[in-house]
Amino acid sequence: MEVQKKREGWEGQAEASLSLTPGSSIPICYHSQFGSHDDLLLLEVDDKLLPDVLGNRVSIRGQPDEDAVLCTLSSTYAMKFVGTSNSVFLIPPGDSIPAMKTTSANDEMSTSVVASVITVAPGNIELIQAAPKLDKLQKLLSENPYNLEEDLSSSSVHSGGLHRWQDLVETIQASEEEIRAALKSLSAVEVDGYWRIVDDKTMYETLEMILRNSVLHDWKISALSEDCVLSTMEADGFPPRIVSHCLETHGSKVYCSNDNLWRLDEKRVCLRFALRVLSGGKMKLESFMDKWEHNIPPGMKADLKMLEGEVLYEKLGVEEWIRAFSVSALPSDPANRFAALFRERQKWEWKDLEPYIRDIRVPGLSTEGLLIKYTRRTQPNAEAEPIFSSRYT
Amino acid sequence: MQIRLKCICRQEECREWSIIELQGVVESHPSLVDHLQNLEIGRLCCVSEGNYTFTVGYHELSGTKMALKKPLLVLKKKKVGDAFESGSSDSSGVELEVIGIIRHRIIFKTRPMALISKPLVKDKKNL
Repeated sequence: MEVQKKREGWEGQAEASLSLTPGSSIPICYHSQFGSHDDLLLLEVDDKLLPDVLGNRVSIRGQPDEDAVLCTLSSTYAMKFVGTSNSVFLIPPGDSIPAMKTTSANDEMSTSVVASVITVAPGNIELIQAAPKLDKLQKLLSENPYNLEEDLSSSSVHSGGLHRWQDLVETIQASEEEIRAALKSLSAVEVDGYWRIVDDKTMYETLEMILRNSVLHDWKISALSEDCVLSTMEADGFPPRIVSHCLETHGSKVYCSNDNLWRLDEKRVCLRFALRVLSGGKMKLESFMDKWEHNIPPGMKADLKMLEGEVLYEKLGVEEWIRAFSVSALPSDPANRFAALFRERQKWEWKDLEPYIRDIRVPGLSTEGLLIKYTRRTQPNAEAEPIFSSRYT
Repeated sequence: MQIRLKCICRQEECREWSIIELQGVVESHPSLVDHLQNLEIGRLCCVSEGNYTFTVGYHELSGTKMALKKPLLVLKKKKVGDAFESGSSDSSGVELEVIGIIRHRIIFKTRPMALISKPLVKDKKNL
């Protein structure tokens, strides 16, 4: 490091300017290498973030057409250049031991220490914690969802639209933790080194086959043996990676000494069946309920509460209809989310709206703040339910 | 694409740079504009703990040393050798190296005060 500093020859004696004692003075000069030094940037960093930066755990992400963001392992920050009209003279440090040449032992003023200005900084970059930009992730993974046929037809499949972890880190403007969490909420799975979304049909068929096998082999769906399920399903042509992903998506692991056991989650299984029933389009609520209750595995109980954030109801005459409208298919940034919601419906009651906005996280903005920013609230009288409509129409 | 922020000082404390900040612009004599290197701008004097004067030409500014609320890191853009190597984690071919940290600045907010009977100096301060 010292060698490098010497080669650059940037000693500026910053220490001398900072540690002047009362009554002493030093000349301030332009450095012998004074210039615009466009390759120097000043980045304002919170003391809380400093250890991450100094520990090499930070990087800047973005494509040339995007505003760059700075990511630590867990958070994302917007970068904003703030210019100044002041003259900000930057003085680099000197050698570790400043060359104090005192001409006379008594004369403390006649040292040859000079503080040198290497450049004038035009401003600095500020960091503002921001929500990760994750919509692109969903878009990328939706390009080529995994389906069962591609494994069965063992032909040369990997046609494109496939993304490795490293590709995602480079393209998505979010921290690694935020990307992992988003992959989880998209129920993406790593197949042969590529992160994929499994298409709905494949997920449904896999789950249905697990349930069918559990009837055939008398397995308890509250304690499915992983080894048993994977080997039986493999014989039926379902790849183990996809079967275990299906178990993860629809259940939770029950720890057991010698075998992994899975308990299927009633809500997640019922939801999968509900969306399957609705995949053909909107239905009368009554016939939907019949079909749904008929399809779900015995022992499970369907409840419309399970479908919050996944379906919308509408009244047509005396009849109530239901159709799929999934929060996971909506944009994740608040402006676009609200725009999409108000395109769908001009007016929302709070109980309908809440499931579609509760996952929005904006640093420094509460749900109340979100509503003020993006909606207009009307309440005909104090007892009435408030109605939310778009602020921009 | 991603650009890594690299810090070569590792666990050691980063070398501290300093800032002298003043309002407006220091103008040099037109004949010197292209030869500023090594030219003296002025003299920084500590009058008492935390209080400074900065004498530029016939003008004296007074100011104070202030700790920055948030430190500033000095970053330097660096080209990385293996920019074209496919699969490299830093596809941008650029790296930002932390070469210093700034925790204090000496800021001069006042209008300059004219000094009389001082020897001629090369720079002049204009606001």
